[in-house]
Amino acid sequence: MNKPALYLSASSTISHQPTFGNPGFSAALGPVETSSVLISPDYKAYIDAGLLRRMSKILRMSVACAKDCIARAGIEQPDAIVVGTGLGCLQDTEKFLNTSLTVEGLLPPTSFIQSTHNTMAGQISLSIGNHGYNMTHTQNTLSFEHALFDASMLLREGDRHVLVGAADEHIDMLEDIAARLEFKAAAPLTSGASFFVLSSENGGNANAELTDIYTVGGTENRQEEIDAFLDRNGLQAGDIDLALYAGAPVQGAVRNLDYLSLIGVYPTASAFALHYAVDVLGANRDVRNVLICNALRKSNLGLTLLKAVEA
Amino acid sequence: MDSLKEDLKKQIIEQLNLEDLTVADIADDALLFNDQGLGLDSIDALELIVLLEKYHGIQLTNPEEGKEAFKSIDTMAAYINKRKAA
Repeated sequence: MNKPALYLSASSTISHQPTFGNPGFSAALGPVETSSVLISPDYKAYIDAGLLRRMSKILRMSVACAKDCIARAGIEQPDAIVVGTGLGCLQDTEKFLNTSLTVEGLLPPTSFIQSTHNTMAGQISLSIGNHGYNMTHTQNTLSFEHALFDASMLLREGDRHVLVGAADEHIDMLEDIAARLEFKAAAPLTSGASFFVLSSENGGNANAELTDIYTVGGTENRQEEIDAFLDRNGLQAGDIDLALYAGAPVQGAVRNLDYLSLIGVYPTASAFALHYAVDVLGANRDVRNVLICNALRKSNLGLTLLKAVEA
Repeated sequence: MDSLKEDLKKQIIEQLNLEDLTVADIADDALLFNDQGLGLDSIDALELIVLLEKYHGIQLTNPEEGKEAFKSIDTMAAYINKRKAA
């Protein structure tokens, strides 16, 4: 039985690249520089000043992207909010733990409250006054795919619009940890947040259709998994006009692009790849099928298949 | 005393992320928890208790003392001096 189509009605990304409020960015994006910094919008345009001062980087990125996305989709409220994050609110966690080392009495309440992984979804909900389903998924490098999977199920159960996204933030300590673990990242360690409105109907503003998502942990046969996934969707590798990959290229795809080289490394970078894919599909009629192949962690595989919206 | 008040203003700006304020914007007698002053709230009060221990080594455990101490920069400085002298 064919699954009903799901549409990406709006997308928004804050990153180390000029992605925010910049449709068509995919055409001009070069490799991310090691010395790059987060390109932040004027957050006061999106977040009340009283709330803003308490928000760490990841919360500001998430709430601003979420609000931008909802405005672009032209909806009042999403039926649900689903967020993926690999490492959660690191700035607040670090602040809370550092204070606990030096202070014996009361510990800082703000960083304690905001150190949990579900703070982004919660703050988005509070910021827009949403009382719907609110969920956070944390599954290492597959956190975003799991959030997307959850959003898809909600839409197939009757929701009309789901706000789904992912965010992770860089703190200096990650560089120290990477050095101690002798982890050599494929690209600079960065921060990023990407949010989307995923809809059960195309309101006329969708550039892309989400065809399928698949995740698997502990896999040793990446290419076999990809081939089987494409087969289940009636496709072959040669039908993939663009494969956005982290890890290794997709054999047989018309074009491969390493999305980590564009955005840097963070656990939910595949959410940026989704925005990139939507942007490409919106701008280029020659691209019909895009596969996002997330093997940022070698043993984890996330596959997201998109196709152009039929005119 | 004046340098203590200056330090307190810097520490409050940092601890509470009052990004739009500078030391010069905070009057010594401005009411911290009043909208005409800094407009702080109950979570900020807890952050001020952390600030007192973190920067001045003073643990404030009696809420009644806090009410008086956190009225303004003047009262905070006076409270710190009183506790250190005790």
